[in-house]
Order: sequence, then C-alpha cells, then structure tokens
Amino acid sequence: MMHILIELAVMPLVAFTIGMFMVLMMRKIAAKIQRRVGPPLLQPLYDIVKLYAKKTQSSHGLLHDIGIVMAVGGYIAAETMLPVPGMNGIADKAGLLTLAYVTMIPSLGLALGVGQCANPNGSIGIARALTAMLAYDIPFVVIIFGASWFYGSNNLIEVIAAQQAGGIASWGVTKMPLLAIAGLFTLYAMLGKQPFEIYVAPAEIATGPMVEMGGKHLGGLFVMQCFQLFTASAVYVSMFLGGGENWLFFILKLFAVVAIPMSMAFVFPRYRTEDVLAVVWRWPMVLGLAGVWLVMH
Amino acid sequence: MSTLQSIPVVATKAEKPSGGTGNLLANVFDELTAFCRSRSLFMLHYCTGCGAIELPPAMTSRFDMERLGIQPMVTPRQADILLVTGYVSTKTLKRIILTYEQMNSPKYVIGICSCTVNGGMYWQSYATAKVLADYMPVDMYIAGCMPRPEAVISGLRELMANIRAGRSDNWRDYYRRYDHYLGNQQRLFGENWQTPTDVIGEARHYGQFGPETLGEHTALLERHQTPLLPFEMRLGLGGEKTGVENKGDKR
Amino acid sequence: MNALDLLLSLSALMLLAAFLFGQTRVYPWLAGILFTGQLVLLAGSDLPMAAGVGLEIFGQQVGWQLDGFGRYFALITIGAALASNVYMGGEWGERYQADGHSLRWLHAALAGNVLAMLLLLSSKDLIAFFIGWELTSWAGFLLMAQGGERALRAALRYVPYAMGGAMAVLGGLVLTLSWTGTLDLLELSRVMSTLGNGQLALLLALFAIGFSIKMGLLPFHLWQAPAYAEAAGPGTAFLGAISARMGLFALGILLVKLMTLSRVADLAFIDGLFTARDLLAWVAALTIVLPTFTALKQNDARYLLAWHGIGQGGYMLLGIVMGDATGSAGGLLHVFNYATYQAALVLAVFAVMHRTGTADLNSLGGLVTRMPLTFLVMLLGIIGLAGLPPMNGFVSKWLVYRSLMVEGRPLLFLMTVIGTLGTILSVYKLIHNTFLGQLRAEHEHIREAPWSMTVPMLALVILAFVTGVAPGLALSWVAEAQAALGLPVLAYTLGGIESPRGSLDMLWIVGVLFAGFGIGALLFYGAGGRSKRVHQLDNYAGGHFLSADVRYHYSDHFYAGLMHRIGPLYRGSFTWLESAVASATDLAASLMQAWYRQAVPALTLLVAAVLGLGWMVWR
Repeated sequence: MMHILIELAVMPLVAFTIGMFMVLMMRKIAAKIQRRVGPPLLQPLYDIVKLYAKKTQSSHGLLHDIGIVMAVGGYIAAETMLPVPGMNGIADKAGLLTLAYVTMIPSLGLALGVGQCANPNGSIGIARALTAMLAYDIPFVVIIFGASWFYGSNNLIEVIAAQQAGGIASWGVTKMPLLAIAGLFTLYAMLGKQPFEIYVAPAEIATGPMVEMGGKHLGGLFVMQCFQLFTASAVYVSMFLGGGENWLFFILKLFAVVAIPMSMAFVFPRYRTEDVLAVVWRWPMVLGLAGVWLVMH
Repeated sequence: MSTLQSIPVVATKAEKPSGGTGNLLANVFDELTAFCRSRSLFMLHYCTGCGAIELPPAMTSRFDMERLGIQPMVTPRQADILLVTGYVSTKTLKRIILTYEQMNSPKYVIGICSCTVNGGMYWQSYATAKVLADYMPVDMYIAGCMPRPEAVISGLRELMANIRAGRSDNWRDYYRRYDHYLGNQQRLFGENWQTPTDVIGEARHYGQFGPETLGEHTALLERHQTPLLPFEMRLGLGGEKTGVENKGDKR
Repeated sequence: MNALDLLLSLSALMLLAAFLFGQTRVYPWLAGILFTGQLVLLAGSDLPMAAGVGLEIFGQQVGWQLDGFGRYFALITIGAALASNVYMGGEWGERYQADGHSLRWLHAALAGNVLAMLLLLSSKDLIAFFIGWELTSWAGFLLMAQGGERALRAALRYVPYAMGGAMAVLGGLVLTLSWTGTLDLLELSRVMSTLGNGQLALLLALFAIGFSIKMGLLPFHLWQAPAYAEAAGPGTAFLGAISARMGLFALGILLVKLMTLSRVADLAFIDGLFTARDLLAWVAALTIVLPTFTALKQNDARYLLAWHGIGQGGYMLLGIVMGDATGSAGGLLHVFNYATYQAALVLAVFAVMHRTGTADLNSLGGLVTRMPLTFLVMLLGIIGLAGLPPMNGFVSKWLVYRSLMVEGRPLLFLMTVIGTLGTILSVYKLIHNTFLGQLRAEHEHIREAPWSMTVPMLALVILAFVTGVAPGLALSWVAEAQAALGLPVLAYTLGGIESPRGSLDMLWIVGVLFAGFGIGALLFYGAGGRSKRVHQLDNYAGGHFLSADVRYHYSDHFYAGLMHRIGPLYRGSFTWLESAVASATDLAASLMQAWYRQAVPALTLLVAAVLGLGWMVWR
C-alpha cells in the first residue's frame, strides 16, 4: 500500500519534469529551424515560476479557477495510469481506453474555465479545440482498438510486457507498422502545433482559450502542456515502441516521439478547422482502418 | 520638457524581502522569483507607430530575443511588458491605458522612440499625447527615431537587470499615486473618463494603497463611474417571486 | 394480497387520487410517500413477484408476474416519477397552474404512465403485454400532450407512429398464436426458437418495428424529439428518462428471451456476413451517431437533450445485441445511468426556463453566478451524458466498448466512439450557452431555482455520481436482470469489473482523480499569487471598451468549422422519408375516396357487394 502511494506521488512529478524538457526541446527545435539560438535550459521553469508568482492576478470567477485546477489535477491523475520503468501506479485498474477518457477531463476543465471568462475569443478557441479533438480522437480510437486486439488486452502493463518479451522484433511498430504510422500522425495532430494549432491561432482569435489567462491561470496551462506532451508520447511509446526497458531508453524514445512531429511543425502555416478535419479523417483514418484489418486477419 | 533629463521617470526603491533577513527560505524564494521574473518576460507590443518595424528583427533570427527569455504574447492578461512603439494619439492612449490596467503586476512599460518621450516629431500635433509617463509609470525609455534593434535589445537587457535587482517596481506607483495619473488622464479625456477596470479596488485588495491613491480626481471618477463589481455566485434559494424575473411561460 | 398486487393497487390508487385532487398541495406529498413506498416494496420483495389475480380472455390465460428484468425497469420508472413528482409539487406547479394549465391532469398523466408501465413490465403473457403496451402508448401520449398547443401538436405526430407500431405488434401476436398455439411468455421462450427461419424473420420484423417505434430507433425516431421536448417540464424528464426504454424492454424480451440471439443470428441476409443480428447492431450504431449529430445542431436546450435521448438508446440496444456478459451488462446498466442524468439535465433546463422564460441557447449565457446549483447539476449531468469519468455514464459505455473490442467489431466500436465525441461537443455547447460566457443584462437579477426544484435534481446527480464511483451498486440489479433474461451474468466488483483483458476499478480511478484535483488546487491556491475577481466587461477586446448593451458572447453557429465540413451531410433524409410516406398514404386514401365516392358510386357498390357475396358463397 505504501509502495503504491509513493508511486502515485512520484509518477506525476517525473511526468512533469520530462514534459518540461519536452517543451524546451520543442522551442529549441523551432529556434534551430528558424536559425535562432533559442531559450536557455530552464526557460520553461522560469516561465512557470514567474507566472505563479505574479503579484496581481485577475480571475473571472470561481469556475475560472476550478477549470485550471481540473486541468492540472486531471493530468496528475492520468499520469498514475501510465506505466513508466519500475512503476505501474494504478495502470492495472484502468486500461488504455480509460486513460483516453480520463485525459478528456482536463480538457473539459479548461473548457469550463475558459467559458467563464466571458470572452468570445476563448469560446471560439474551445469550439475549435473540441472540433480538433473530434478530428484526432476518431483515428486514435481506431488505433487503440487495433493495438488492444493485437495484444489481447487493453491493460498497458501487459501491452508493454508483451512487447518487451521479444525485443525490437516484437515491438508494436514492427508488428503493426500501419497502425504505428497512423498513430504518429494522430499524435502530431494531438499535440496541436502547426499546422494543427487552429485553437490557439494567436493572430486570429488572440490565443483562443488562453485569451483571459494570466498569472497562475496561464501558469497552470503551461504545467498542463508539459503533462500533455508527456502523456501523448508515453502512450505512443507504450503502444508501439515497447515501453520503457529502463529509464535511459524510455526517455530517449519519449523525446524521439515528440521530436519527429515537431521537426515538421514549424515550417507550416495553419490549417483552417475544416481542413484539419479533412486531413485527419483521411490519412490516419485510412491507414488505421487498414492496419486494423491486417491485425484482425 | 524639452530635455530628456527633465522627463519624470519614476523609480521607486526596491521592495524589502518579505521575510526579513532572518528567514533564509523566504529570501531564497524571493531571489528565485526575482530571477525568474527577470528571465521570463512576455511582451505585448502595442504597435502605435513606426518603431514597431524594429521589433521583428529583434525577435527573429538576427537578434533572437527568446534566448533572453523574452517572448511576444497576445493579450494583456498574459503579458509582463507593455511596449509602446511610437507616437500616442489621444484616441490610442485610451486603449493603451485600458491595456495597461488589464495587465497583471509586476508589469513594466517600455516607451520606444522619441515620440513616447516627448512627442518627437508630433510635438506640435494637437491630437498627440506627448509624454507617456504622465499617464502611466514608464519603466524604460528607448529613445531614438527609430532605435535600432541593438538598442531595443540593450534596453530590454537593462530592464532585466533592473528587475533582477528589484529596481523596477513602477507598477506600484500606479496604485500609490493613482490620483495623479487619473488627473492627467481626465485632463485629456474629460471628467467622465473611466475604464472597466477597478484600480482603486485592486489597490485595496493587494495592499498597494498609498496616500495619493485617492484624491480630487478619484472623487470626480466616483461621481461619474458606473461601478462594475464582479458577479459573485449567489445561492438565493427561495420561493417568493421578485418583480424582475420573467414569467416562465413556454413560448 | 401479495407484493405485486399491492404495488399495482398502490399505483392505481395514486392515479385515482391524482384525478380527484391532483391540483392540491397535499397530493405531491401523498404521491411522494406512495412512490417511496413502491420503491421500498419493489426493492425488498423476493423475485419473481406474481400477481394473485388473473383473467381469462378467449381461452387465453392473462396474468402478471414481475421478474428481475422487469423489476430493474420498474425501479427506474418509479424513481424517475418520484423525482418529477417532487419537482412539480412546489413552485413549478404553481406557475404551471397560474399559466392556465391543469396540474391535476399532469399529475394524473404521470401516475397513469407509472401504472401502465408497471402493468407492461410485469406481463406474463403476450396479451397482458399488449394491454400494457397500448396503455403505455396512450398514457405516454397523454403526458406528451400536456402543457400547451405546441406540446399537443408534437404529441399528435406520435399517434400515427404509435398506431402503426401497435398494428405491427398485434399482427405479430396473432401470427405467434397461430404458429405456436400459445401466448404465454415462458412457453414461448421454449417454442419460438424452434420456428422456421421464414416465420421467425416475419415475427422479428413485425415485433421489432413495433418496439423500435416506441424506442425511437432509426428510421422511426422522428416523432420522439419534438414530442418529448415540448411536453411540460417534469413530464419531459420522465418521458426522456424511461418512457422510450419500454421499447428496449420489449426488444430485450423478444430478442433474448423468446427468439434467443443465436437464432436471430441465423437469419442471414448474406450467409455468414450479414445477419439480422448485425442489422440490429448497425441500426443501434446508426441510432447513436445520427441523432447525436442532429442534437449538435439544435438551438433549443430541450430539443438538444431529447435528440441525445434517442442517440443514447442506441448504446443500450447495441450492448444487448452483443449478447455477452460485458456488453449486455453495459447496455442494461446504461438504462439506469442514462435515466439518472437525463432526468437531472432536463429538470435543470426547465429550472433555467422557470427563471428566464426561455430555453433558446442563443438568448441565455453566464447564468453560473446566478444559478450555481442548477449549474452543478447540469455539469455533472453532461459529464454523465458525455460518458466521462467519474460519472456513471462512463461505466456503462465502457462496458459496451469493452464488449465491442473483445468481440472484434471495429466499425461498430468506431461508431460508438464517434457518438460519444459528438455528445461531448454538443453538451459543451449546452452548458456554455446556458451557464458560461457573458451574463445578459436582463438576467442580472435572476435567482437560483427554489428547493422544490433543486433537491430532486441534486438527488439525481448525486445518485449518478455514487453509482459512477461504485458501479457495483447498480450492477447487482443488472446482474439480476441478465439472469432473468437468460443472458450470461457479469462478474462484477464494487468498483467495476476485474478481468485479465483489462479491468476497471472506478473506486481507484475516482480516488486518484480527486487526489489529483486536490494537488491541483493546492498548487493553484497555495503556490499561486493572490487574485482578484474582475467584472465580465473587464475583458480583452483588442483595447476596445466593452459595455453591457453590446453582447460580447459567442453562441450561434457554435461549431462553425465542423459544420463547414459535415454540414452538407445533413440532408434531412428521414424527414423526407416521413413526408414521402405520409403523402403516399394521403394519395392512396384520396384515390380510394375518389373511387368509392366520386367516380361511379353505384357501380362500385354493386361490384363490391357481388364480390363479397361471391367470396362468401365460394367459401
């Protein structure tokens, strides 16, 4: 019992730390593509500390605050359902599908908080974010289906164990290459960077959901972004890249998974909402369904 | 006010660390936040005039502000720095004041170009507010017509050093001497001038009340103001009908 | 007098009382006590509960007996009626009367519905079943028609559907009798599966059409949304929560108990590829997706919820058609779960209507500060409706997903998830346009709904939350219903299910979720600086000064980008089909009329008479 409580406390911390460095990597990649130096090593931490330590902050009401609490708290809970090397948390009590739905809780919290800001830019941003979720979650569940059919379980611990049993040859990516490609595409859309950043759109809807967020509200969203990056990449690594044999390989895989889409992202402009739907419902969907067909036959 | 030296740049003393010298943990914490504040600056560039053209090179690959932790942001709530990049017409000034008041403290104002210092080439214009510091506390002027990106960067670095050392605390001045700033604003915009923000209430809430927060100008404001108090959640359960609620008939 | 007799007579007594003094202040209290008594009686009795009295009609025994399956639905029925009764017992009812409607009739219609449904649920043979079925239909019509002209018009649209359905069921009943010689359900469950494929297919078609109409399955769903949405508030809640599920009850009996799912799977359209069972599963899946996306386009909160009600029915049928322990448990559990949050949601919408006078999603907004309890109800309700943890809607949907995953039905699984995602979009629009965003100047003085309305809503969402955290509480009833129906019984735990292929333990998940919220709150309130509440007009608008007379709110055409892509897919095909059938019937009727009355009436009469005589002689 003590053992699991420690895991529950440590897993979110680890996720946050890794996620923070992912944010740094993302900004560094953007800087390198644009031939800049980019931010220093601890820049994400500086940003978060500064935002939380703002001396005057404006809130639009209780729900604005609670929304941020839910956004951060929901991810803290979700991290305990994602196995990392040496720690399984409560992954055996909540499978892949449950995890996918638990990660919608923070988005719902954010949506509520933004709603109370009474700013139409924010509401448009949420409307677009939910549309984007509708776009990428449809191929995502197809991929979840394929993977859990293949491994015969949607318990992530068993999915990882099955892959680690035979080395790279038994990884999801070699067994189900189509699903792995579709998954990477979906992950790209899920991360919400260019060309999929329809709901931030700074010059169009003034950063959408973040329009009225300052101080600890914005800081909470920065924390949430760290968790989000970690969660998305850790789910992918667990499904297709054999999870974590040890911490070194696990972290390498995690960063690689985020680095691939991010190296493409910053050369793109932005899609319109309907085009995001079109592209995400076309390519990852076709690949995913083909992959599921292959897995099942 | 024709010389640069006579421009009233307000600079207050550094705030004393809250825990005193005895509390090591509090000191470390204050040091950390001061450091993070100086190394993470989100700026809102209010591009009023030609100075704005010097910002893209300062942000992009040539000079790369991000290596200093400076990033552009979109709305006042997110920003730490308000960059006013050129002449300020009377009409624009209203928006700048609203934007400034909506920002979260600690917040810093930088006036770029001569126009914000003394009106610059708009010295004789009837519609231009000449000295930005009359209307809000300015932390840093970067003079020039226009200043080059190097100057912008060096100005920002100086601001960072000020923040790090706790010298740049002018946002408190706006609360403590609100009557002064409001007076200047009223002189320009007329006596029924008001913004939807509640500066006096904030001064009270955050303990930034000073002897000059209230005065004759704020008294004038209170006469004209339609107060905008936030809607608090209220339960107000009960059966009796009030006059204002609509009939619940179905259309 | 045994338990079922007592139950039915209590119910009949209430109907009488409602007729006599339903408009008085005493009646809601009496009804509350009687409903509670019925609930206790139902929950406490041993199964099966048989009625002491029976009839004999045309040599057929007619009797009533309640088994686990019927009791499960009966509990939900009475629970929903209890909540509606409390809601309309206070200020809502007074306003309803002041507006010139008859509260007595509303109470009577509600009591009548409960009685009719209890009769239906406890039927022991097909005649009792048909009596209950018809009573339910007409009682439902009575409840739909209360509350104004629009309600009546919407209810009238239901009548041809109900009549058509009744004819189909009656036809099936007659054929059953002539082919098997019995109408007793127990007897039929042994005999019916031995019928030939052709006979079985015809029976399935007739019964399934009749039952689908009540349940609002595609393509017979068009009547339901307006009829339910326009009814009087608590009536809408009751109808939405349980009324349509009588169709599911009947389908459950038909498909699982009488015909058995494996026999239904024998009726193949394409051998081995597409059977009647697949057809039912696909009808259920389409019933999830299409009405959900119709709901997404609604601008009236009542219609939005009513359309979701149709969509959620699909999950229930899909779960039952899957037929394994997990899927059928999910489908059945969803009946209960859905009833709890749908009733709460509808009541919340009517509480908003009670205070503001409108349910139009484009003329509300920002009410969270004025009606926080109603907001809380709607928040928990939409989390349930969208099927997210920690509410109970997640558990039942999860069981259905699990079943589809294990059985290997990727496309059906995809449809269910598309339905869920569409629901999330739609319910966010509902709560955003009602409670979030800018508070209108004319709503600044609105007050929270009175206790008589908030208490039943809160009780319902608390129930939905508790059975979400500990689904085992409701799963015990479900297991009983599964056993009574002859389905494999789910092995459940208090927190969900345990299985090597992926378990679910809601106790842990919700515990960790709330611990996460706690840490999030600690970070936010403890580590973050002080904040101050600001007015909604102190807001970013690119430097513009906002004022109360100009709306700064986004509500219309909420998912503009999505509609740009999927908008052309809304073709109104079903409305077209409905009007095509209606005009074809019209045309046929006027042709007949012309033939009989206009053309050559004397000759027609003569021909008809001669043919009739000839037929009689020839026989």
